[in-house]
Amino acid sequence: MSSESSKKRKPKVIRSDGAPSEGKRSRSDAEQEGKYYSEEAEVDLRDPGRDYELYKYTCQELQRLMAEIQDLKSRGGKDAAVEIEDRRIQSCVHFMTLKKLNRLAHIRLKKGRDQTHEAKQKVDAYHLQLQNLLYEVMHLQKEITKCLEFKSKHEEIDLVSLEEFYKEAPPDISKAEVTMGDPHQQTLARLDWELEQRKRLAEKYRDSLSNKEQILKEIEVKKEYLSSLQPRLNSIMQASLPVQEYLSMPFDQAHKQYETARHLPPPLYVLFVQATAYGQACDKTLSVAIEGSVDEAKALFKPPEDSQDDESDSDAEEEQTSKRRRPTLGVQLDDKRKEMLKRHPLSVVLALRCKDDSVLQLTFYYLMNLNIVTVKAKVTTAMELITPISAGDLLSPDSVLSCLYPGDHGKKTPNAANQYQFDKVGILTFRDYVLELGHPYLWVQKLSGLHFPKEQPQHTVIADHSLSASHMEATMKLLKARVQSRLALHKQFASLEHGIVPVSSDCQYLYPAKVVSRLVKWVTIAPEDHMELHFTKDLVEAGLAGDHNLYYLALVERGTAKLQAAVVVNPGYPSIPPIFQLCLNWKGEKTNSNDDNIRAMESEVNVCYKELCGPRPGHQLLTNQLQRLCVLLDVYLETESHDDSVEGPREFPQEKMCLRLFRGPTRMKPFKYNHPQGFFSHR
Amino acid sequence: MDAPGPLGQVEVFQALRQLHMTIFSQSISPCGKFLAAGNNYGQIAIFSLSAALSSEAKEESKKPVVTFQAHDGAVYSMTSTDRHLLSAGDGEVKAWLWADILKKGCKELWRRQPPYRTSLEVPEINALLLVPKENALILAGGDCQLHTMDLETGTFTRALRGHTDYIHCLALRERSPEVLSGGEDGAVRLWDLRTAKEVQTIEVYKHEECSRPQNGRWIGCLATDSDWMVCGGGPALTLWHLRSSTPTTVFPMWAPQRHVTFYQDLILSAGQGPCANHWQLSGELKAQVPSSSPGLLSLSLNQQPAAPECKVLTAAGNSCRVDVFTNLGYRAFSLSF
Repeated sequence: MSSESSKKRKPKVIRSDGAPSEGKRSRSDAEQEGKYYSEEAEVDLRDPGRDYELYKYTCQELQRLMAEIQDLKSRGGKDAAVEIEDRRIQSCVHFMTLKKLNRLAHIRLKKGRDQTHEAKQKVDAYHLQLQNLLYEVMHLQKEITKCLEFKSKHEEIDLVSLEEFYKEAPPDISKAEVTMGDPHQQTLARLDWELEQRKRLAEKYRDSLSNKEQILKEIEVKKEYLSSLQPRLNSIMQASLPVQEYLSMPFDQAHKQYETARHLPPPLYVLFVQATAYGQACDKTLSVAIEGSVDEAKALFKPPEDSQDDESDSDAEEEQTSKRRRPTLGVQLDDKRKEMLKRHPLSVVLALRCKDDSVLQLTFYYLMNLNIVTVKAKVTTAMELITPISAGDLLSPDSVLSCLYPGDHGKKTPNAANQYQFDKVGILTFRDYVLELGHPYLWVQKLSGLHFPKEQPQHTVIADHSLSASHMEATMKLLKARVQSRLALHKQFASLEHGIVPVSSDCQYLYPAKVVSRLVKWVTIAPEDHMELHFTKDLVEAGLAGDHNLYYLALVERGTAKLQAAVVVNPGYPSIPPIFQLCLNWKGEKTNSNDDNIRAMESEVNVCYKELCGPRPGHQLLTNQLQRLCVLLDVYLETESHDDSVEGPREFPQEKMCLRLFRGPTRMKPFKYNHPQGFFSHR
Repeated sequence: MDAPGPLGQVEVFQALRQLHMTIFSQSISPCGKFLAAGNNYGQIAIFSLSAALSSEAKEESKKPVVTFQAHDGAVYSMTSTDRHLLSAGDGEVKAWLWADILKKGCKELWRRQPPYRTSLEVPEINALLLVPKENALILAGGDCQLHTMDLETGTFTRALRGHTDYIHCLALRERSPEVLSGGEDGAVRLWDLRTAKEVQTIEVYKHEECSRPQNGRWIGCLATDSDWMVCGGGPALTLWHLRSSTPTTVFPMWAPQRHVTFYQDLILSAGQGPCANHWQLSGELKAQVPSSSPGLLSLSLNQQPAAPECKVLTAAGNSCRVDVFTNLGYRAFSLSF
């Protein structure tokens, strides 16, 4: 542009008085390069300061001239016109100078501007360059950081440790010489090895998959084979049933039993298992069976969704019915009680066969909500028993198992938690339901593996096999002993009611040959009646006469003497001896409170019972005691000192051989019989 | 009514033994703090009177401090010297050291058996009597003789015969010194110890005032206060003037008495019937104190000077309990075997 403007001006300068010719310019430019007058060059030569001075001078001159012209013009005159003309020419010249100066100034300005522009352009270019470079630097830095941050995927792979790698990798991969020094190569080598290994393992995997497929197929085939066997085996089993029976090895039966046993509740299951085991191992006379409906047992465990649906339905139904007819509170409570005391549909039946072919049948029930097991007992004998009147309670299901272990009455529930449950439904005691539901004896709980510790009541008591096993043998023995002793008593009572004291031949040595006193009456009495007898007070006070005992009244007579004996038989007979309390009616009433000899007689029978036990298992104890009582009465009556003041012979002449009639401060009679010498002496 | 706890075989047997226990004899220790009681099973139990009488007495204080098996048969009679406890029962007399007796496993110091005539049955010893002046012990019982034993040497010096039936009780008449013995034959005999002869015989049953033929003629208890004697048993309890052998007062007690003793101006007696009787010398019944046993066999007054706080009357008999009467008028409590 500058060159264009300069080119424009050039012709103007050159042809200052003539019209610029455009067309020739370009030619003349080229021709006149060395020739023409360039004001641009002149500008460089001139000093701007001097030009400024010149300008100021020229302006002054012009002003002067103008002023002179002014003067002249105002004065007028002729020469004035020439002078004016002169001055006009001078001013024109000055104007020319001014124009030149203007031009120069413009040129200078232009030049300056051009220069500035150029410089600016340069600066801009540099600036741009700088920007570019900076940008590039930034870019590069970013790239560098990116590069530095780059995590190669290979670092995420857990490579085997270096030692292992060097050990396992084949040398062509590990290239120890190269890789040892160069970590990059090492990593590469390791990656290579990793890849190798993975390839191999993938191979293996594919192989094993195919293997597995194969095996599955084989299994399928075999399963089919087995399922085809099942019907065949069944038919074989059916066919073998008669063989089993013939050989008396009831596998089938046992199998069926085990099947049903699976549906038993845990305590009954423990009982079943332990009893069967004991029966097989130790006691062939014990047989175990399961009674009850398996379907009902299965029905107890309906899946919860069904029951929930049922519940909602039944809730709706219930609401409807309750609107129609509200069941009474009593009925509701009754239902709740029934629900609480519900039994599990399955029960375990144990049958103990004793030596004389009598069978004790025990049926064990499980009360689901109370988590206790109860038992009902039944004694059946080989031959029909005619029950003597007094023996009513001996074998009754209610009391035959009472106090098998001391204190175990079976009238209260052993589970302490049940009391709270009872309170909710208004059951006062379990005793009322015992007849119907069975007795919850403690030994029954132990046999079922349920342990209810008194001190620390536990939340849930779980059936425990070891508890059951530890008590099984002892309890079974006690049960058998109990049944046999009761049966023995049964027989003895039958005889006693007829006035005969049955003394077996091996116990005859305890008594003299002749016993005159006779048993005339043997009856059972109620506990309240026993308490009301006046001569049993201290026994009651000593706590030896509780509700669970059996009470009898015996009457022994000789002549006018009547001896009443109140007999307390503990359920634990014969290990716990029966206790006798005596009252003699002969020449007044004598009891242990007013006659030392009656006391001594009681002592002979109660305290010295061990010699009266007879052969094991001691079932003769009661009858021996009764016989001894008769002998004691004989001695008492015969050794009574004769009252000289009364006329008449002695009612009871002394027939017994005694060394001394009285002994000691209490003047004791000789109650001890000595065998085989046959005389009576004092203890 | 339910039994207090599960009564197994052992508990029932124990209860039966307790029920049929009879305490025959008692003896106070020389220090006065302990009471020994002997029962029909041959056991001797030592009770601590001082503990039972103290203000902090608990239930255990009423139980024996120690019980041991002293004899095979019953312990019919006991007495104490200033160091020993002498017990007698089935034919022999044993001595125990009071100082050692409280230790477990106490063994008898010595035992002696008087020379008996019969060998078929060992006669029992029903009564022991100490004669302090001669340091002798007199035994009497089933063989109808009184045996004197020298406590120093342990030898049996004399045997006094005269009774026709076994001897129940002995009493010492200090002045003379004479021994009175009462027996099953119904006679009270006086023996002079120095001459070893029977000096006087009183056949109680022959006197109409006191004889009760329906009870028998046996003399169960004797006590003497030099000129006077009181005896009872089959015949009624009677106070006798010894020199004249006449019954002066008959005490109107129907039940045969088994133990009688003079105490201050009273006569205390006990026997069949659950009470201890206090009689005045005139024959009036001053008090009848009920006891816990249906019949009493022995009374014991603790008059040991060393323990005045333990001055009590204890009574025992047809039960396992010893009643303690702190104030003679009523039963304070009972010790029990």
